Amino acid sequence: MSAPAPGAADPGAPDPDAPDPLDLDEYVPGTSVALTDDERWPTLTPEGRDRLLRLRDHPAAPAWVHRTGDRLTAEGVERSRTPLPLAGWLDEHLATARRLPAYRRSDLPLDRLDQWPFTTRDDLVDDVSAFVPLDADLDLMVQGSSSGSTGRALLIPDHVEEVARTFHLYVSLVRDLGVDWRPDPDRMALAHVVHQRQAFTYASVLSGFGQATTARVNLHPGQWGAPGRRAAFFADQRPQVVSGSPTSLAELLQPDLAGLLRPLALFSGATALSAPLRADLEAAFDCPVIDVYGLHETRPIAVSSDGGPHVVLDRRLVVEVVDPAGAAVAPGERGEIVVTAGENPLLPLVRYRTGDFARLVDVDGRPALADHEGRDPTVFAHGDGSLVPCIDLTQHLQAARCRGWSVHQDRGGAVRAVVVGGDAEMVRSRLGALLGRPVDVRRVPTLLDLGEGKPRRYVSEATAS
Amino acid sequence: MASDETTTPLGRWLARGDDEQDLWGRLVPGPSVDDVARRLSAVPRSFLEPGLSLRSLVGDVLDDLAPDPLGQLAGPARRAADVAGEIDESGHDAARRGAAVALWTWASQDELGPAEPRLLTRSADRVLAALAWRLAPVVDPRVWLADAERRDEAARSLLFWGGQLPAGEDAATARALLEARDSLRRDQSLSQALAEQQHRLEVMRRLREARAREAAARPGHE
Repeated sequence: MSAPAPGAADPGAPDPDAPDPLDLDEYVPGTSVALTDDERWPTLTPEGRDRLLRLRDHPAAPAWVHRTGDRLTAEGVERSRTPLPLAGWLDEHLATARRLPAYRRSDLPLDRLDQWPFTTRDDLVDDVSAFVPLDADLDLMVQGSSSGSTGRALLIPDHVEEVARTFHLYVSLVRDLGVDWRPDPDRMALAHVVHQRQAFTYASVLSGFGQATTARVNLHPGQWGAPGRRAAFFADQRPQVVSGSPTSLAELLQPDLAGLLRPLALFSGATALSAPLRADLEAAFDCPVIDVYGLHETRPIAVSSDGGPHVVLDRRLVVEVVDPAGAAVAPGERGEIVVTAGENPLLPLVRYRTGDFARLVDVDGRPALADHEGRDPTVFAHGDGSLVPCIDLTQHLQAARCRGWSVHQDRGGAVRAVVVGGDAEMVRSRLGALLGRPVDVRRVPTLLDLGEGKPRRYVSEATAS
Repeated sequence: MASDETTTPLGRWLARGDDEQDLWGRLVPGPSVDDVARRLSAVPRSFLEPGLSLRSLVGDVLDDLAPDPLGQLAGPARRAADVAGEIDESGHDAARRGAAVALWTWASQDELGPAEPRLLTRSADRVLAALAWRLAPVVDPRVWLADAERRDEAARSLLFWGGQLPAGEDAATARALLEARDSLRRDQSLSQALAEQQHRLEVMRRLREARAREAAARPGHE
């Protein structure tokens, strides 16, 4: 199916003059643009620029919300291709951590790892700078963010070379499965797909991978206008590898995409990948499906390429599993995953409580996480029968400045939201519009009012199978 | 910061989060350091009396920020009165004297003639906090009156935190001279706390900058 010509009237496109009650300012295209292309890709070649412009201006592409480059210098490109050495890393990591403002006044001995206190997401939300080394090179810092389990957004200091190194980790994971993933100038190297009503999207170039293209693409039908446009875009880009959450990857199985995509591999992350979906993806695309477990704060921790336990990556990581009191559980027993993570020099974490649960087991002599309970992949039922992923609700609950929440949909579809702080009226109107049905909102004063421990933020009995 | 640290003089200062780096780029012309130092050394004994209410004194001294017909203080004066009240309630004598000397310096423009340019009071709260919580606990204000170098430090502090550049100096020179005299930086443990606060401000500023918000392309969800 052909794409509409640039500038042509698109009968399927939303009316650009109609105000959308669910628009969030941060998703207005170009809101955060601050750099030139030369700053985004300091080593960009004429060929790389041509590829970038073809992608950016592709007639079937949706409007890119954001502009993003990898910021790598030639030296940075080389450094990021090489995994960080592992010999002696933990001693060095703990020495760095002892000098952090977060630990400088500690009365604990902090010699061995098991003497360190746990770190929580709330610690980072309260003052992430206390976990950034005083001598860190802040010129290499960019901002990441995480919506997290309690709803309080966290700004995370990302290091440009570490972000690029994670891409090369993905490449090595694919190659380790015997798949020869190399740059192909005629194909997009990596499509990171999301499926949200609104999302950050961008077209970019991978400086350290033949200056092949990459993009963060929103599969949500509302982003594409005319039917067929989404398929036309993907048919032309032919991404070598696609990454996304299970909800997003499931969208690839839609008839308009399933027949034309020929990925070398798929990466799943963010929430648990169910065995049926894995099987469907493997059958549809005849390629490896690699499920990545990690957090933005810690980076990738473990992967499963066969549906079995997630094998802990051979990186600067120590994984522990602890009981509610913080003591190590017996081998093979279930507990909370705690991670010491040393890949991001701007955020050297020690004993970070993930809020996720698993059993630590042995797979071919390597530590692995079994029966992992991932984060919440809940979808809600819209009044018209369509499905709404919980991330869409998160965006609007955060826009209404709620510090935490719990949203419950019963079998009949009725929705009740309990929010901590924020503008209850705004929540009522935004979630009502999003879900196409009235939403009952109750405001409570503290997170504890949502329940002990790590409350489930979303439950939908209407969509539970 | 632990709660007990927020009640120490330096803890109170750091909790304000005043951005020193940013302020150096926004200074406007002020009077000379010598002029301010002369005014400091002329502080009347009555300003240093232990029973003096700093909060009341703010309303009397900041006459260019006079109450409106309903008796309400203008924003800057109200903020200064809040800081003065906090100092009153702290019972910290050196801090009280530091704030009183600052208030005298502004009052001196009526008593001894105006400074040229006039000393600004729009950031009076920040000046009171700086002299009371940042400087006075390290060097007692009585030493400011007796020691020329410490008086120079106090005068420079008052000008800087008030948003003014000393007459005859550019920002780089003024900064170098203030940092060379800065008693807080010369105290190792206090300077470490100060460095951490500056680090905190710098990290958060960088994270919020549009350049940082362009982020970097991540390959997937972790």
